[in-house]
Amino acid sequence: MEKQGNEFLEVKNLCVEYTSDKKIVHAVNGISFTMKKGETLAIVGETGAGKTTLAKTIMRILPDPPAKIREGEVWLDGENLLEKPEKEMTEIRGKKVAMIFQDPMTALNPVKTVGSQIVDCYLLHGYSNKDEACKKAKEMLELVGIPVTRFGEYPFQFSGGMKQRVVIAMALACNPELILADEPTTALDVTIQAQVIGLINDLKKQYSASMILITHDLGVVAQTSDRVIVVYAGTVVEAGERNDVFLNPSHPYTKGLFSSLPSMDKKVRRLTPIEGLPADPTNLPSGCPFHPRCPQSTEKCRQGQMPVVELEPGHFCACCNLKHGGTADE
Amino acid sequence: MSNIIEVNHLKKYFKSAHGVNHAVDDVTFSIEHGETLGVVGESGCGKSTLGRVLMHLLEPTDGEILLEGKDITHIKGKELTKVREEIQMIFQDPYSSLNPRMCIESIVREPMKLSKKYKKAQITEESERLMDMVGIDQRLRQAYPHELDGGRRQRVGIARALALNPKFVVCDEPVSALDVSIQAQVLNLLMDIQERTKVTYMFITHDLSVVRHISNNICVMYLGQLVEKAETESLFTNALHPYTKALLSAIPSTDIRKPLELLALKGEITSAINPKPGCRFAPRCPYAQEACNQPQKLVEVEKNHFVSCCRVHEL
Amino acid sequence: MEREKKKVKRTPVWVGVLQGTVRSAGAKIGAILLAIIILACIFAPLIAPYGVNEMQMSERFHGPSLQHIFGTDTVGRDLFTRILYGGRYSLALGFCGAIFSTVVAIFLGCIAGYYGGFVESFIMRILDIISSLPAILLCILISSALGPGFVNTIIALAVSQVPSNVRMMRSQVLIERSQEYLEAAETINCSKARIIFKHMLPNAISPMIICLTMGIGDNIAMAASLSYIGLGVQPPTPEWGALLSDARMHLMSYPYLIIIPGIFIALTVFATNLLGDGLRDALDPKLRK
Repeated sequence: MEKQGNEFLEVKNLCVEYTSDKKIVHAVNGISFTMKKGETLAIVGETGAGKTTLAKTIMRILPDPPAKIREGEVWLDGENLLEKPEKEMTEIRGKKVAMIFQDPMTALNPVKTVGSQIVDCYLLHGYSNKDEACKKAKEMLELVGIPVTRFGEYPFQFSGGMKQRVVIAMALACNPELILADEPTTALDVTIQAQVIGLINDLKKQYSASMILITHDLGVVAQTSDRVIVVYAGTVVEAGERNDVFLNPSHPYTKGLFSSLPSMDKKVRRLTPIEGLPADPTNLPSGCPFHPRCPQSTEKCRQGQMPVVELEPGHFCACCNLKHGGTADE
Repeated sequence: MSNIIEVNHLKKYFKSAHGVNHAVDDVTFSIEHGETLGVVGESGCGKSTLGRVLMHLLEPTDGEILLEGKDITHIKGKELTKVREEIQMIFQDPYSSLNPRMCIESIVREPMKLSKKYKKAQITEESERLMDMVGIDQRLRQAYPHELDGGRRQRVGIARALALNPKFVVCDEPVSALDVSIQAQVLNLLMDIQERTKVTYMFITHDLSVVRHISNNICVMYLGQLVEKAETESLFTNALHPYTKALLSAIPSTDIRKPLELLALKGEITSAINPKPGCRFAPRCPYAQEACNQPQKLVEVEKNHFVSCCRVHEL
Repeated sequence: MEREKKKVKRTPVWVGVLQGTVRSAGAKIGAILLAIIILACIFAPLIAPYGVNEMQMSERFHGPSLQHIFGTDTVGRDLFTRILYGGRYSLALGFCGAIFSTVVAIFLGCIAGYYGGFVESFIMRILDIISSLPAILLCILISSALGPGFVNTIIALAVSQVPSNVRMMRSQVLIERSQEYLEAAETINCSKARIIFKHMLPNAISPMIICLTMGIGDNIAMAASLSYIGLGVQPPTPEWGALLSDARMHLMSYPYLIIIPGIFIALTVFATNLLGDGLRDALDPKLRK
């Protein structure tokens, strides 16, 4: 098999669409990115930006139909996941790649005890001895901060935060190399969210696993990630080291996101939101998908693909109004 | 300035199979004309129940609600109809708060149609004015809710709430289901409307940054009780209750130089079913002591800054 | 905002529903089919080639032929004629019974689901008692209490259908009950009746349309069993179900006696289902184009 560079995960020009009601929903439109081992990559974007579709494509759990991967490759450790037969994928899921879902309320089976669900994870992936799997599961439960005494309880006896801890335990059960976390804290209260973020950060260090964190919350990104990708309408508009993107946001959309946030530090009377509505994925505008909402859009933005400019080493931005090494023309 | 709403010792208990849920327990506050009171708390703290009791969607167990000095706690029938034209509500979920079988125009017109204050021609004119005001394009009048995105649905909900020119609007998490960029648009809209019509808001939310942006005063609730009540600036610069401090510390800041350092909270939020006397936050509080098991009182520590914590002076 | 745009023409909702129904191909076929069957039954005296009870003993068990397009029955009556006349009773029984039970069910289901508590327990427990009896036994009880006859049969059929329909309606109402738009309706001073019937009902009614169309077929079949034990419409009235039960002795030797009335029952149910589906889609703005 052909070896693809030395990147741990490489997504190349991925295009995914859905068909619904005879309309084609362009969910992911040519997303490419790479990721190093041990890194935490945050994918930021609003509802309908294609974040979850992207994660499901990497996991190969997209329902087909209605979804269709039209183009692209996903290389994990030198193997193209999109060409794997389903049987091998079952092995990879859980063992190599694991996913943490957004809603802990529905991610657990309500009629099985929490403990046995974690045990099942071990039994499915390599452990044949039930006692050993049980012992492992108990250790894992302790690790995510749940007392072992609750091993035999059912999901309904757990609060939202506790359930999310169980989901994390299940994802970590088989030492995956890559964890896909899809809005892992969105359904949780702030104080619980902070605890879970703390837990994720600790476990990441302990397991040296790589993680893709999908979220819409810039605060969570700032607190957890190494690198950031900003997606809009299924395309990457800005990508870079966390510090570069947060200290020097360059794409008008990224800037808009930051200025939309009510500040915790200074009191501003009016927010500066991004005008207009998110792009309709069934009818994407030509050129830069953001141009109808962009305050700096020019004639150039309506045509062709946006050039990707490298502003600083590793900090890319897809906007035609940028000069090399500089920020957008005002 | 005078108070538009005064709430005194309001209680709402729910009986359930497991015991009595003290969803709102002895809550007292008041809001001045044209101001915004933010009510902050995590899920299950009773903030939505509080809003629904004020709206008379739920009957209070005890306590009183005054609207411009008049007791409206137990009003019914015609009186309630009249009061409901003055207090209105914006709901949390823009997807379930609009009847999917009614077009936008009928939704906006309905309150006026029912109020009998308006003639037919007036209703049409008013509904057009309202839709202009909240920024809904006239060509969407015949559209159904499912054809709109969350932001525009929420605008329709706002138009419906404002249709009768209410003096007081309960906003129950109106922006928490929206994306950041849309959330900012709706917050601006709410503030513009307040500037123009001098309407009073009670803004219920779990998002501290939003509440800081929009409110003049803030109440922090924990398991049915007010734990801290203060002017916005004073709460954010000088939070006194350990729970408020924990909440503030838990917000992940977008400033990458500020690491997230959650105040060491123990365990998870407990429930308000058959609570023990004493501070309900004590089981999670890092500073809890013997004295915390005694019932707590909301005390004015500084001017207009109330805290319900017996150790506030030591911490 | 431009002022000219404001004079958008308003189309009443029912026009939209009608247009939606007509536009769906399935509903069109269903409506046409149903119209043909109903018209044929209404104008039976004009169309039928023979008298209803005209017996020709010499022509018993004639298969379909040019003289008797559907053949003749055990005593030499023309089956085509009997189907036309029988349709009058069967369709009336089926439709009236189903409509009656659905309307009662919608009303009771709304009340039970919306108010909950004691009202709900009261309604539901009574219905539990009714449904604890097998449907056929209940029909027999009611028919024998009220005596045989057309109207009494309709009542018997409807009552036996009510409990399952109420349960369906109530579960639908319980789903809608938690939606915020009902609270919103309360805050803008909607009366209880308006909340239930204007806001909640239109959103909860879809499954009832299915119940209605399925009920028609059930009723026709059930009416047949009643006539068989002598409690339904009385012979020699040619009701479709009765045609089936008359012919059951000759199932092996003269299958057309069963097949042809059977096809008519099936066609009617099929047509009402198609129409019902079209109507349900047209009522839902999400599915209306």
